[in-house]
Formats: sequence, structure tokens, C-alpha cells
Amino acid sequence: MSNSHEQSFWSKYIFSLDHKTIGKQFLWLGIFFLLFGGFQAMLIRWSLSNNMEPLPWWLLGDFLYQSSPVGAGIIGPDAYNQLFTMHGTIMIFWAITPILIGAFGNFCIPLQIGAPDMVFPKLNMISFWTMFLASVVLLFSYLLPEGTAAGGWTSYPPLSTPVGGIPGQGQTLWTLSLTLAGTSTLMGAINYITTIVRLRAPGMGYFKMPLTTWGLFLTSILNALFVPIIAAGLIILLLDNVAGTQFLVAGSKATIPGGDPLLYQHVFWIFGHPEVYILILPAWGIVSDLLSVFSRKPAFGYKVTAICMCTITALSGIVWGHHMYTTGMSPLLGKTFMFLTLLISIPSSIFFLNWLGTLWKGALKFDVPMLFAMSVMWVFGLGGLTGLYNATITSDIYLHDTYFVVGHFHYTMAASVLFGGFAAIYFWFPKMFGRDLDPTMGKIHFWGSFIPLNLVFFNMMVMGYAGHHRRIFDPSEFEFLKPVLGLNDFMTTSAFILGAVQVLFAFNFVWSLVKGKLAERNPWGAATLEWTVDYPIPHGNFSATPQVVNGPHEYSHPSLKDKDWLAQSEPIPS
Amino acid sequence: MNNILCNFIQIFRKKKISLLNGIWFLDPPKDVSLDGYRIDNVIQYTDLVITIYFSIVVLLMLYFILKYRNRPGHKAVYEKGESKKHIGFTLCMGMLVFLSIDVVIESMSFRDLKEAFWNFPKGDNIVKVEVMPQQYAWNFRYAGADGLFDTEDDLIPAQNQMHIPVNTPVVIQIAPLDVIHSFYIPNFRVKVDATPGMVNTMWFQATETGEFEIACAELCGNSHYRMKGILTVESQEDYHNWLNTLEEEGPEDEWDDEDDGVPSRWGWAWKESE
Repeated sequence: MSNSHEQSFWSKYIFSLDHKTIGKQFLWLGIFFLLFGGFQAMLIRWSLSNNMEPLPWWLLGDFLYQSSPVGAGIIGPDAYNQLFTMHGTIMIFWAITPILIGAFGNFCIPLQIGAPDMVFPKLNMISFWTMFLASVVLLFSYLLPEGTAAGGWTSYPPLSTPVGGIPGQGQTLWTLSLTLAGTSTLMGAINYITTIVRLRAPGMGYFKMPLTTWGLFLTSILNALFVPIIAAGLIILLLDNVAGTQFLVAGSKATIPGGDPLLYQHVFWIFGHPEVYILILPAWGIVSDLLSVFSRKPAFGYKVTAICMCTITALSGIVWGHHMYTTGMSPLLGKTFMFLTLLISIPSSIFFLNWLGTLWKGALKFDVPMLFAMSVMWVFGLGGLTGLYNATITSDIYLHDTYFVVGHFHYTMAASVLFGGFAAIYFWFPKMFGRDLDPTMGKIHFWGSFIPLNLVFFNMMVMGYAGHHRRIFDPSEFEFLKPVLGLNDFMTTSAFILGAVQVLFAFNFVWSLVKGKLAERNPWGAATLEWTVDYPIPHGNFSATPQVVNGPHEYSHPSLKDKDWLAQSEPIPS
Repeated sequence: MNNILCNFIQIFRKKKISLLNGIWFLDPPKDVSLDGYRIDNVIQYTDLVITIYFSIVVLLMLYFILKYRNRPGHKAVYEKGESKKHIGFTLCMGMLVFLSIDVVIESMSFRDLKEAFWNFPKGDNIVKVEVMPQQYAWNFRYAGADGLFDTEDDLIPAQNQMHIPVNTPVVIQIAPLDVIHSFYIPNFRVKVDATPGMVNTMWFQATETGEFEIACAELCGNSHYRMKGILTVESQEDYHNWLNTLEEEGPEDEWDDEDDGVPSRWGWAWKESE
């Protein structure tokens, strides 16, 4: 691997083979879609509390929905269904996945294990451009006269097939773009796994890897195992949509032959439940590492945390049935899925306790990445505990398909993963772009996100407990939902504050890129290998292959004198 | 151990407990069913225990933030937490959480499923109803004089109208016409999916008379949000009078045209469980 060879603009910035550039490309893509999907959330909230009122100018009311059948600038029920469908799809597959797995997976893995690059650089590049193609296909569905897919992010057939009675072209493009995105993820996963297995620097044993890399490693294993399954499901859905097959369509009575809609639900959730862990494992790893860095002490029970993450990874593949308790599942199967699901709480509480143990007796520094990392403890604590209601068959009978579930998965998938992602962005920005993100704006961003986010997502669970079912365009249709209508307005206000603060984040990101303070080599005093190289990191990363001698969290070692950290490649002074 | 657990669970039998009333800003709709209290109890027990655990976590975090914040003269302790003592402690705490929440709610849930939700009523005094949701309405079918479904004398009330007698077990069998729907009565805490190609079964029993809303809980298209049925719970006498008026009026005829692949008559022979 040559370190500094001449590259044209195209091969350096566009079709780059360098994992760091590809990581940044994923980051830009992810942030674009984060804002895009977030804006859709604002439209959803507007519609929920100001039903059938025209959008105000600050939600682009003069441009959007001008040809809406219910009046210019008004979101009708069909548009509302399209909004929440695309909001879910985009946030999960186009915002969180590219930011955490695409951007930080690419950027961190080779640097943290002391490798010159990914093991398959070309595959890495193709992975990004497949994702880009998937994004183009997805965005193209907004140009369709009938609009985008509207079957929910789960797109259960038969609603998502031609017999479902909703416009089909958007659904077809949705399926196609998701298949492409899955292909991209699969290429990335194979690359990450091979890189971690084959390219670790001398001395970098598995139990010397930073927990971030552990999280990304386990995520990639889950991706490699389960993305092909959803791909199979999506392809039969696509065939039902365009080729007239009936894999997932059945007649109204058990006597009429045909396919089986339940098949799709099984296939979807066999992938869909691991997907939750696919998203959150990198966040867990990042938070574990960051808590250690900013507590200036080793991660408490490092090996136990890694083993707990492996256990959860294994369990995540055999619990999908808890999404389907109300489908008429056999009692034995239901009980089995419930037991297996509840088992997850053992490793989860152990590593959560390890997080607390990391803070214990530390010297806590409250920089912006630490604030976000600690807030993950809060949101994941709430999100994890509220999972118990959904894992239990009886309480799930009542809470299934209500806002309780929506609140629960927004805490786990949206809040935990997003805050983990923000922590990562604030933490690695200096190494990625050579400048610091402005900490004052960062702190405003943190508090402006943390408080309104809880006001929105916690109240979603409260509404669900009050019986509010999901995906309801106009809750005032039902008498039993009258008590929650006031809460809806409050949540909408909170959501708008949350949204506005993300604009500040985007501004900070761009502003710091140009005008931010030039970063030192190791501004946080972190011990992992990426902080031993200077910005800009050359193609090929390390001038000499590092020799790893320490674990990833050597902070406040008693024999250290003038600094309190020890890089992984730095021997302990005697 | 098992005994202690059973006694502990015994507390939550038979009656509605109120461990944490008012901790939520909103209460669920009034429970008017025989077994809805079981679901409320599981939820309230979980509320209580996770509130305790989450409070402990938050208090510890606040304490650590104050006590261990970085300041001049304060140094972190080099503690890897990998001694047998530390690992043993975390394992024990993990098991404690599992035993105090998961095992308890699992036992409660299994018991309730066995005693109530999966324990289908037997005997003659049962009201049987077939339900066929479609985009965007509920169709109901009663067996009529011969007690058999899918026959000529079946009674079909107007769409979205379901009547049941109070204090009598009601068993429904449900299969949709078009896409997946979900039969959801918040006041009864019950929900069951209607999936094309299969017939699902559920039972419940009302303890109060009145009118309650039936909602569709599974996204079924653009007008999903106003797919609403009315469940009227009335006395035995009123219920029989209502059935008689249905008999006089004859079945609704809207299924007679064969357009759009709609069958001329829906319904299926009642599927007896094994």
C-alpha cells in the first residue's frame, strides 16, 4: 500500500478506495437523510395536532402538497400514510445505518485495529455507490404522481401488493431501493468481518479490540446472516408486485388457496428483530468506549461487556416471534418466544451495570461526546425496560400496535442510536476533518435534543398506554382517544423544538468544517490507535504497522507520570 | 423458592391492584371485561419494578456526576472491574433483575394465558360471532336459529354493529376479506389480527352494559384511521330482542353482487378447536 501517491479529484473524493473517504461519504449521505427524515417527522406531528390545516410557511407550506386532493398545502390521509412509511424507512435504513455502520464502521475499524485499509477497498467503494443508487431510486418515488409507498415501514402484504388498494409504483420502488440498500449493507458487512478477522495489527487480540470495533463486528455478523433473509422476502414481494405471482397473497377464507401473508411477517421479523441490534450494537460499543475515555479509567468489566454483547447478538436471532403475538401464534411458540426474549434482560442488565461501574470512581469530564454517551444510558435504560411490556404476551395483547410500541422503539432505535451517533460524530470529528466541532453549540444541541426528545417519546408511551393505536391520521375519530388530544399538541411543540435544534447541529457541522478550531492530534486523550496518527491521515493510515501491547482503555494507570493515558501501542513505563 | 414466588404472585390474583395509579398522566380506557384486570395487573407490576430500577440508576448517575466529576486534585482510580468479586456482583445483579421482573411477569402472564386468554369457554351458554373486516368496515355474522354458521339462516347485522349480552362468554372467529386488519377493543384490553388465508379465534366477556368502540389496530390503507365499529353490550333480553329484529329484517343484501370478486355470501363453518 503506497502512502502518498498522486490522485485525481475523481479517484480521491468521488470513487475513492480509501476507507476514511468512504466513511465520510456515508456520513454526508446519512446526515442528509437524517434531516430529510426528520423533516417528515415534523410534517407528521403537524398533521397529528393540526389535522387538515394547511402547512405553515416554516414547514414549506407554500411548496408542499400544492395539488393535494383535500386542499393546497394540506396533508390528507394518503399523504399521511406515505409520510410515516417513508419516515420510518429513511430513518432506519438511510440515516442511522449509514451514519453508524457506514460512516463509523468504515472510519473506525481499520484505524482501531491498526490496519492500512479495509481488506476489499473496491468492494467498499461499490458498497457506497450501491447505497447511492438505492437513495436515488428511493428519492425518485417522490416524483411519482401517486406518491411514495404507503404501507408502513414494515410493508405487510397484502396491503403492499396490488390487491391492497394503495398505489403500487411507489411500493415497487420502495422494495427495489431497499433491496439495493440491503446489497450495499451486505457488501459492507462481509468487508468489515474479513477486515477484523484478517487485518488486526500484531498483538491486537480480539480481547484487545476497542468495544466500538466489537459492536461493529457483531453488527456485521448479524447483517451478513440476516440481510439475505429480508432480501429474499423483498424479492418475493417485488415479484408479487410486478410479475403477478401470489407468494404473499391469500383469499379471504382459509378455504381459498393462494400464498401466505404470514410468511412475509416471519421473514421480515427474522431480519427485523436482529435489525434493532444491528443498529444498537455499534452505539453500545461507542458508548462503552466513550464512557471510559471521559471517566479517565478503564471500561469496567471490559471482557464481560464484550461477552454480553456476543450473547445478545446470539439471542437476537431467535426472538422475532414477539412481534407476532397477536397473529394467532401457537401457544407453545408464543411462550417459547417470550421466554427467549426475556432472557435478553440478563446480559443487558449486566453490561448496563458495567457502564455504571465505568463511571464509578472515575474523573468525569463532561465534554459534548460524554454528555451524549451518558444520555444514551438514560434513553436506553428507559427503552430497554419498556421492552418488557412488549415481550410479555398478555401486556402485549393490549399494547401491540399502539403508540406504546412506537414510543418504545423510538427510545431504543431512534434515541439511543441517534445519541450514540451524535456522541461518535462529536468524538471523531477532529480525526475525520482536522477541526473541532464547536462545543458551545454542541452543548446547546445536547440539551435542546435531550429534553424535548424525552417529552415526545415518553408521551408516546403514555398515549399508547391510554389505548392510542398506531398510524392514525385523525385520532379525534375515536371517543376513547379524546383524552389524549391535548397531549398530542404538547408533543408536537416539543417535536418542533427538537427539530429546530437539529438545524443548529447541521449549521455547527458545516461551520466547524470551515472555521472550527484546528484539532490537536489527540484532543480527548484517548488510548485507541486512531489517535496515534496525525490529521490528515494518509491513504494507508500508519507509517509503520503498530505493535499492540495494551488493552483499549489504559487510563490513569498508576505508573504514569505526566499524562494519564497510554496508547495501545505504547508500552507501560516501568 | 418456588413457593415464595407463588405466594407473591397470589397477591395479584382475582382483583385489580392499584400499585401506581396516577403515575401515568393518563389512564387506559375503563376496563369492562372479565379478564382485562389481569393485563392491567401485569402492566402495573412492571411499572412499579422498572420505576424502582430506573430510579436507582438515575440516582447513582447523579451521585457519580457530583462525586466523581473531574476537578483539580481529583484522580480516577485505575479499576478494571475484572476481579472475581466485581464480575460476581454484576452477574448477581443481572440475575436479580431477571428474577424480580422477568420471572414474575412471565409467571403472571403464563398463568393468565392458561386460566383466561387461552382457556376457551365450553358449554352451551356461549355467544359465537364470525367477524370479517374489510377495507374499511367490520362485518359480523351470527349463527341464527340452527346454531350453525355458513347456512341460509345466518344473521348479518348492519356493518360496524356488534351486539353481545353482558356476563356471557363471547367467542369470535375472524378472517378478513382483503388485507390484514386487527380487531381491537381498548375497553376489553383485547386484540387479534385478521390475516387473509387463516381464521383466528379469541374470546372475551363483558361485565358492564354500554357502547364501546372497536378499532382497527393494523394499518389497512388510507381510511384505516376511521375504521370503527360499535360494540353494544346489553342485557340478555335486549340482546335476544335485537337478534329477533335481525331475523325479521332478513340479512343485509349488499353481498349479492359478484362485482370485484366479492363472494355472494361470506362466512365459514365454525372451526372447532382441538
